[in-house]
This record gives sequence, structure tokens and C-alpha cells, in this order.
Amino acid sequence: MRFRLRIWRQKGAEGGRLVDYEIDGISPDVSFLEMLDVLNERLVSRGQEAVAFDSDCREGICGMCSLVINGQPHGPDRGMATCQLYMRRFKDGDVIVVEPFRARAFPPVKDLVVDRSALDRIIAAGGFISINTGSAPEANTVAVPKQNAERAMDSAACIGCGACVAACPNAAAMLFVGAKVSHLALLPQGGPERDRRVLAMRAQMDSEGFGNCTNETECEAACPKEIKMSNIARLNREYMRASLLAEDYTASKESA
Amino acid sequence: MGVLSSLLTSSIGRKILVALAGLLLCGFLIAHLGGNLLLIYGEGPFNRYAQGLEKNPLLPLAEVGLAGLFLAHIAVSLKLRHENRQARPASYAMQRSKGGRSWGSRTMLLSGLLLLSFLVVHVWHFRVQEHADGLYRAVMNAFQSKYYVLFYVAAMAALGLHLSHGFQSAFRTFGLSHPRLLPMIRKTGFAFSAAITVGFALLPLWACFWAKGPR
Repeated sequence: MRFRLRIWRQKGAEGGRLVDYEIDGISPDVSFLEMLDVLNERLVSRGQEAVAFDSDCREGICGMCSLVINGQPHGPDRGMATCQLYMRRFKDGDVIVVEPFRARAFPPVKDLVVDRSALDRIIAAGGFISINTGSAPEANTVAVPKQNAERAMDSAACIGCGACVAACPNAAAMLFVGAKVSHLALLPQGGPERDRRVLAMRAQMDSEGFGNCTNETECEAACPKEIKMSNIARLNREYMRASLLAEDYTASKESA
Repeated sequence: MGVLSSLLTSSIGRKILVALAGLLLCGFLIAHLGGNLLLIYGEGPFNRYAQGLEKNPLLPLAEVGLAGLFLAHIAVSLKLRHENRQARPASYAMQRSKGGRSWGSRTMLLSGLLLLSFLVVHVWHFRVQEHADGLYRAVMNAFQSKYYVLFYVAAMAALGLHLSHGFQSAFRTFGLSHPRLLPMIRKTGFAFSAAITVGFALLPLWACFWAKGPR
């Protein structure tokens, strides 16, 4: 297969433009990232600089790959990451525009690579439980309703890739934060730090410069793990609950 | 951080504020439409209703409250919008929906600004200006102009579009995510938007084309 790629090239934090590359002899069975690998090999053999892009596991579970492909984070299909996108999804001769995730909170590093550590700092602000959970407890000593276990698992499927931010017209991180708040809020182990967690994570989210959610639901459509909008609603509930009822004011002061 | 300051400074708090003001304004729309429908009953009932409102000693208080709701809804929305613009300084060369946005959600700013301009004209014309012949005649005369009718109908269409996203979005902001209730709220929102648009837009059309008013 042959394609015309229009790839965003950027040397450092500033500037950048779309550069056209013709590529041919691509097997329909290679993934999008492998196609970029082929492009890079050819560029390097011609003495040109390779296109920088993020990837790691290449099996859709690490959250490292990104890319906005033809205007859509992780490409045209639902419920998959860029590494799971295959070239047979495109037509021979297609023009494919490849851009980085764009948000103020994701400063560009080079070409298609952006710094997504803002998401890590939100987790560090409260997306954890402080107790040592020890070894697996005796079955049924801690009662967890089946639905809650399922919902918590669904929320915990978030791989933190940042596609929700990239897809959001407002560059908001509410789906990510919603998922991270939800999977702990739904389980008894997350209970003791429930209020402190949501207040601190909300404060960190705002200070990172993400936008504000307007319930466009683009994030849900772009999420490779199909995290649901209900996580955002739960984040809103958790935040209201903590703001109105939290007795642990030290936590809310810390985050102020 | 106190509850009040959190409401005014945090992203979620300010969204709740916009949603709350928006829903309260929906309540005002219902009351307003109810009053407007008295036009159909003729000059007497409508003017009696209008004068009754004006004489009510609580009216100034209600008006201040209403102005406050509008101001909060508009000012905080614009502030959030400004932040959202800043949150993506470099825009995409190509951006395509993956299937989430609606026409209503895309056009919230546009429909909102159209409604704001409508609001200024509307309040100036029917509230600030004096009407010696009574409000009924003022309304019926104003709607003899087809341009004025067109402006009204366009503004009400914008209102419908605005509500089609705003109504359900407000409930999401309040944390509603029930798998059966939320679709019901969405449908209710669409029905409410349609009813409000048709209700308000019908009166100028009626006054212009069908009413045998006092000419």
C-alpha cells in the first residue's frame, strides 16, 4: 500500500509544521506504529532525522502511544489505541494527517511527543491509598457488591493515555480524573481517604491548566478503554459530597 | 477552602453554578411562557396580568434575583469558555468528531450570545420603555414588523438549541449518571426545548399573521 503522510514535525517546544512524506510498499497487516517505524528507517537511511513518537507495549495496555490521526485521537476506530490500528483500515493512496495530542497541560517535547506528566501529578496528588494492603485477605471478609466491583474494574481500565484530553474540545481532563477517583471511591479500601482524594485531585487538575468539562462526550468516544461519561458524573458527585460534607478540613486546606 | 470559595474558583464548582442558574432560568421560562399565552385571551386578561405583575411589591426583588441568575450564568460561562480556549493554545490542523458532540453542544457560545443580544433588545423594548396604551397593544404593534418577528423566531430557535444541550448537561454536572434516568432526562430536555421554542415562537407568528388585533 502507498500513503501520503502529513506529519507534524517540531524540533523543540516551539514552532512546528506539517511535513509531507510519500511512503509505499506498506503491508496492510502492519500496525500504524510499525508503518511509522518503516518510515523512520527509510528517513534515517537517507540521512534525515527520524520522526519522534511515543510507544511502548504496542498491545493496547500501557497508554504510552498517542497521536491524533486524521483529526481523531488513536485514529478512526472506537475502543482501541494507536498501536492496535492496522493499515488495512485505510485505503490505498490515502492522505493521513498525523498530529500530537494538543493541550496546554501537555507541552510539546518533539515532533509527535508531548509531556503528559500532568496526569501523573494528578495521581500523585491523591490517586492512591496510603495503607499497606498486605496480602490477599480471606474471601468475603470485606464485602464488595458485585456491581461495584465491576464498575471499579471498568474505571480502573483507564491507561492514562490522555486521549480524553486530546479529544475534548475544551482540553479537559475530567474523564481521566473521573476514572481515577471512581475506581477507588467504589471500593471499601478507598473509603478512608475518599474526600481528601477528590479535593486534592481536583485542585491539581485545575492547577495543571486543563479546561472545564462541558459534557460534550467526545472523551468517551475517543477513549481506547471505553471509559464511560458516568465517571465524570461520579467525579462531580464525589466533589460535591466532599465539599459539602468533608470534616477533614486540613485536606481541603492543603489543596486550596 | 470553604464551600463558597470552592464554588467560585474550582472548575467543577463553577460548572455547578452555571448549571444551577441555567436550570432556575428554565423555571423562569415556564412562568414567562405561561404569562405570554394570555395574549391569546385578548387585551383585557393580558393587561390585567401585566398590571398585576407591575403592582406586585415583590417584583423588584424578583427582578434583581432574575438579573443575578442571568449575570451569574453568562459571566461564569464566559469565564469558563475563556479558560477552555487557553487550555488548547495550539489548535489541530485537522479535527474530526469521534461521535459525541451535538449541534447544541457545538453552538453553545453562538446561541448564548444571540440570546444575550435578544435579551437586551427584549428587556429594553418591553420592560424599560413605557407603554401608555398598555402592554397588549405594544406587543401586538411590535409584531406587525416581519423583521422583528423573524428576530424573535431566530432567537427562540437559538434558545431551543441552547437548551437541547444545556438541560441534560446540567443534570450531568449535578452528578446524574443513572443508566435509565439519564436517557429519560435527555429526552425530557429535548421535549422541553421543543416546547419552549414552539411556545415562544408561535406568539409573534400568531400576532403577525393570524390575530385580529386592535390595529
